[in-house]
Amino acid sequence: MITGNFYTDASLVILFLPLLGFVINILFGKKLPRQGDWISISAILTTLVLALILFAIMLKNWDYKFSHEVIMPWIDMGAFKIELGFWVDNITIVMLLVVALISSMTHIFSLEYMKGDIRYNRYYAYLGLFTFSMNGIVLANNLMSLYIFWELVGVSSYLLIGHWFEKNSAADASKKAFLTNRVGDIGFFIGIMLMFTAIGSFNFQDVFAGVSDGEIKGNLLTLAGLGLFMGAVGKSSQFPLHIWLPDAMEGPTPVSALMHAATMVAAGVYLTVRLFPIFTPDALVTIAYVGGFTAIFAATIAITQNDIKKVLAYSTVSQLGYMILAVGVGNYTAAFFHLLTHAMFKACLFYGSGSVIHAMHHSLHNLHDHDTDPQDMRNMGGFHKKMPITSTTMTLATLAIAGVPLFSGFLSKDAILAGTLYFVDQNPQHMILAFFGFGAAAITAFYMFRLIFLTFHGEPKMPKVFEGIHESPSLMTAPLVILAALSTYIFYTLPINLIPWKDYGWFTKLIKAKDSVVAGTPSAKEIYDGVHYMHDLALVLSLTVASIGIGLSFLMYYRSTISSKSWAKRFGTFYRLSLNKYYFDEIYNRVFYQPFLKFCNIVAIIDWDLYDKYFINGFGHVTKLLSKVTGQVDYDGLDQTLVDGVGRSAGGLGKGLKNIQTGRLQNYMLFALIGVIIILIVQYSVIL
Amino acid sequence: MSNLESLKFFWPELILSATALIAILSDLIYERKDSHKVSFWAIGGLLLTFITIRLFGGSSINGLFMGTMALDPFSEFFKILIVLSTIIVMLMSFNSSELDGYRKGEYYTIMSIMAFGLVMMTSAIDVLMFYVAIEIVSIMSFFLAGYLKRNPNSNEASLKYVIYGAFSSGVMLYGLSILFGLTGETNFFAIKNAISQLGPDSNLALILSIVFILVGLGYKISAVPFHFWTPDVYEGSPTSITAYLSVAPKAAGFALIIRFFNIAFGSNSAMGSDEWSSLNSLPWPFLIALLSAATMTIGNLVAIQQQSVKRMLAYSSIAHAGYMMMAIPVMSQSGIYGLMIYLFMYMLMNLGAFFVVMYVQDKFDGENFDAFNGLGWKMPLLGISMTLFMVALTGLPPTSGFVGKFYIFAAVIEAGNQYYWLAFVGVINSVVSLYYYIKVVRHMYFEGERSDIVSLPESKLTTSLVLVLALPTFFLGWYFSPLVEWANNSLNFFLGI
Amino acid sequence: MADIVFWFVAFITVFSAGMVVTSKSLLYSAYSLLFTFLGVTGLYIFLWADFLAVVQVVVYIGGILVLIIFGIMLTNKITSVNISHSSMQKGVGAVVAIGFIASLGYMAISSPWLQAANTEPAETTASIGRLLLMDYLLPFEVASLLLLGALIGATTLSRKDEDG
Repeated sequence: MITGNFYTDASLVILFLPLLGFVINILFGKKLPRQGDWISISAILTTLVLALILFAIMLKNWDYKFSHEVIMPWIDMGAFKIELGFWVDNITIVMLLVVALISSMTHIFSLEYMKGDIRYNRYYAYLGLFTFSMNGIVLANNLMSLYIFWELVGVSSYLLIGHWFEKNSAADASKKAFLTNRVGDIGFFIGIMLMFTAIGSFNFQDVFAGVSDGEIKGNLLTLAGLGLFMGAVGKSSQFPLHIWLPDAMEGPTPVSALMHAATMVAAGVYLTVRLFPIFTPDALVTIAYVGGFTAIFAATIAITQNDIKKVLAYSTVSQLGYMILAVGVGNYTAAFFHLLTHAMFKACLFYGSGSVIHAMHHSLHNLHDHDTDPQDMRNMGGFHKKMPITSTTMTLATLAIAGVPLFSGFLSKDAILAGTLYFVDQNPQHMILAFFGFGAAAITAFYMFRLIFLTFHGEPKMPKVFEGIHESPSLMTAPLVILAALSTYIFYTLPINLIPWKDYGWFTKLIKAKDSVVAGTPSAKEIYDGVHYMHDLALVLSLTVASIGIGLSFLMYYRSTISSKSWAKRFGTFYRLSLNKYYFDEIYNRVFYQPFLKFCNIVAIIDWDLYDKYFINGFGHVTKLLSKVTGQVDYDGLDQTLVDGVGRSAGGLGKGLKNIQTGRLQNYMLFALIGVIIILIVQYSVIL
Repeated sequence: MSNLESLKFFWPELILSATALIAILSDLIYERKDSHKVSFWAIGGLLLTFITIRLFGGSSINGLFMGTMALDPFSEFFKILIVLSTIIVMLMSFNSSELDGYRKGEYYTIMSIMAFGLVMMTSAIDVLMFYVAIEIVSIMSFFLAGYLKRNPNSNEASLKYVIYGAFSSGVMLYGLSILFGLTGETNFFAIKNAISQLGPDSNLALILSIVFILVGLGYKISAVPFHFWTPDVYEGSPTSITAYLSVAPKAAGFALIIRFFNIAFGSNSAMGSDEWSSLNSLPWPFLIALLSAATMTIGNLVAIQQQSVKRMLAYSSIAHAGYMMMAIPVMSQSGIYGLMIYLFMYMLMNLGAFFVVMYVQDKFDGENFDAFNGLGWKMPLLGISMTLFMVALTGLPPTSGFVGKFYIFAAVIEAGNQYYWLAFVGVINSVVSLYYYIKVVRHMYFEGERSDIVSLPESKLTTSLVLVLALPTFFLGWYFSPLVEWANNSLNFFLGI
Repeated sequence: MADIVFWFVAFITVFSAGMVVTSKSLLYSAYSLLFTFLGVTGLYIFLWADFLAVVQVVVYIGGILVLIIFGIMLTNKITSVNISHSSMQKGVGAVVAIGFIASLGYMAISSPWLQAANTEPAETTASIGRLLLMDYLLPFEVASLLLLGALIGATTLSRKDEDG
């Protein structure tokens, strides 16, 4: 071992092994047997084993106060001290396990799903890079290295979403994801810099200590917190930066699973969980509103989507909104709990949808049908008979996401809703947050069962295609079964109790909330007791809304007692808004993108066109020459000018001289002099 | 120190001027077709200069040659930067097909003389000396920009450069004459002492003089609104020279601005102490902050519109000048060494980017974005390196560009809330710049046909030069402490006469 | 009396400089430049800069201006070329010029200029020589490298290369 400390060594290996896989595969992947997929898979499985060992040690020690920090100086220059390091505590360990598990599943699932892809080795290489960057975020002990890995996650997601960049939509989606994330990252960077300026350190513990000592407080602290939160808004795809996530479905489906469950979007929630102690009450309320609104807003969009992956995408946005809401109301361990359970069932759902799409694709391919959309649920139906494993596992995961007892989602969702109820109880003016939470829960149950009924039940909509549907190979179903099993409650309540509606298992015992370091926030104990107090009410309410959602969906799409079409007609405006995702892309395009381009155009015109075009008159040859400079080559004009007037020997010089006499240079100088005058005026006004 | 005594500290410059003489003499010996061999002499001489700079490094003597020159670690840093970039550009020029059919002897000679002028710029502490040094650099740049004399664009570039240069240096001379009229001194330190005796009634004249001097110096670093020559000249010049012009004169210009403004117009307590302000509360730091904001904004916004990568890089180099200028008004040590770090990183990545453009121009006959289509698949080495250069120019981690930007932004923020707005403008601009830098990457990877035939550049020199520029660009993003320490140790140039 | 002469010389300098810029014929511009140079010589004499005045006449008028006129005359057809002033930017240019003249004029009046203590005419050649070869030896020598570079560059650009 390298340093002798098991935690340090395990973290180092977990962090760098996927990177090693990336380097080997990107450089030599093509020449290796099987294009090097075994390298990536053995790397990720090793990290999984190590993460499991860490997890086992955590369970054995049973110490919720455990933490281990390694600090390695990177640059030490007085005021600029940047350290790299690891911070390992129970949250880190659980998160490492989630990343390793989901990433392993993705690696295995992709063996079959990506078979024969033209960039197979790159695909596996990028998966490694993605895992590496995410582990970096998880292990970071300071804002600076967190930011670095944060950007790396952005880059690797860009590469993976754009994996099939021959498709324009994929290339566009990857760009959109990247650019949207940059918007959030501006805020993130400003937040980091504000913290650093005030406290002088990037280290989390120093930052907490600094905030608690009041080195940064009041509105500035709120601003810094919101800046940091903006990074999470971008990464975790919260309103109003949610636009990239649904488009990111253009990437391969296993990547979507990885991205939605464990790596990219989880990073934002993880960040808010890590930094929870520094958020001021004002910042927290903002966070709660962003999260709550996102939860219900995305859920209403998911109702009307027909693309199976789009439904799941909006469901992710909505569930992430839940987690952010939980952070906002102070119940951040519940957010992390939901992150954990959500990772399992959402990955299962994505693999399931991948399995369905895979089957559709093959069936359509055999029919030589290239026009039918293999992802459209309107082309499916009755698949349960053909794909029993996929159907069963997906149904289990759906039960989990809908919050049905005996499943994991029930426990975490319940905790979030109880926290929200307590918060609303304390601050009745924020009543609407509870409506957001319960409303989203009902809608989620509704649209998820809509997905299940449309896909797996009822009559096949395209009988010919239905004929060709087969269950996916075992390499694809194995991850499904594992993850469906992990969606049941039992894994989260062991070893203390087996009562399905009490969540007093290892998670609650080992992951305890820390007190916020900002004055004026309720203590962790108050929140814990409040949540406990509200638990029963939340349980009843959430069961009620879930059954309403499921029941409605059952009547509408299974029994067809209620016609979905007539309902769509009745709520016409809303239906159209939802179907078009509230026109967000169009609004952004019109309000931000186009005006910005126009503005750039104007600046360019002033700087270039104005001088080129409007100040120059006469002199046909010269105009032609100039247009050559601006890109319209005109050899005739050139020749004539060269020959004209000036002797051949002085040809070059003469041509240049003529050019100068067009006045362009004079314009340049005039402009410089105007600049000088403006500067002088500014200077005088400063000094006088 | 008297002239004769000073000579023994003057070895690097002496060797550099001897290099220029040997280069032009050796050109007489070679056959015409062998004229590129002159570069061996030139590069050899530059390497020797490099070694002597290191040998004489570390010492600090102010007032060589009767107070016209300084020898200190600060100038040493810039001298090394300049000599390195000159060597790199000379190597780049080997494979430039633009220069085919022209005599190469004079090319390398003029470059050596220009390097000499640049080196003098970094260590001048006398107004007369710095003016002569600037003129050497300007006049040599005119010739280099117009070196392709059968190419009308090159002629045009050169002539515009001459006239704009004459205009700027005329305005600057006027400013210097005002300064002389007030102080009667030419040495920076003496000027400072004289200014601190002046009353407020001379502020107007001082401001005029500062602004006029900035016209000349701003032209050298292509700051808005004195940047108009830049795109035209950069586009018309041979690409290797464009690369050189975008790096070396900028570095020397910044060295001169820092030295001149901080000594002549900086308060007496000067560096080392925390109280470091402008002399007589002249508002020049604010002026440079304004110019900095304007420079990066206009450079970036216009760069977005460009169709030609070369021209895009020209505007982007204006924007980079803006980022670097941010470090001057904060008046702190961290600002100045932030700028030095930035310049070093910028040298590597900008030379690299121009080198790839030059290669593409030679190879695929075009400098528009479309010429880059599919390059990433055809030539992975160039594609990856160019991607790296673009990411570094944007200033994203984990590249050296991020480190440079980080130090500058940190310095600006460290200076207190006075310049938060500037940091904000800088951050916004960095984000905007991503748009056009990534466009190159998009064209290399996502447009045009994918090719399964992968090739390396034919010439080993090209390959190794790309690697020499790309590898440090990457690794300096990870491990940069030595560079930072070097820059930090190069700061003690305020010794007093 | 001296004032009248000074203003006259100053007027000639400025007026002929204006002619250089506005004249439609290159040759006229060149001749106007002669008067500008002469005017500057006069200003040097007013400053008792005897050496500079002589150098001005010998170098600028005797050397540079003659070279310019030769250049114009020897260049084919150039005398008949009309120079365009369509891009004179009269409006904005006038505003900028007036702005500059105003601020420079105000500065010239209001600033505490350094004034020589001795107003008697004295020989300046010796002190210029001493300055150039003692205090400013380095710039003086470096200027020679500048001239060498300029020579090399000028020959390179103007040389007629048969094969390029």
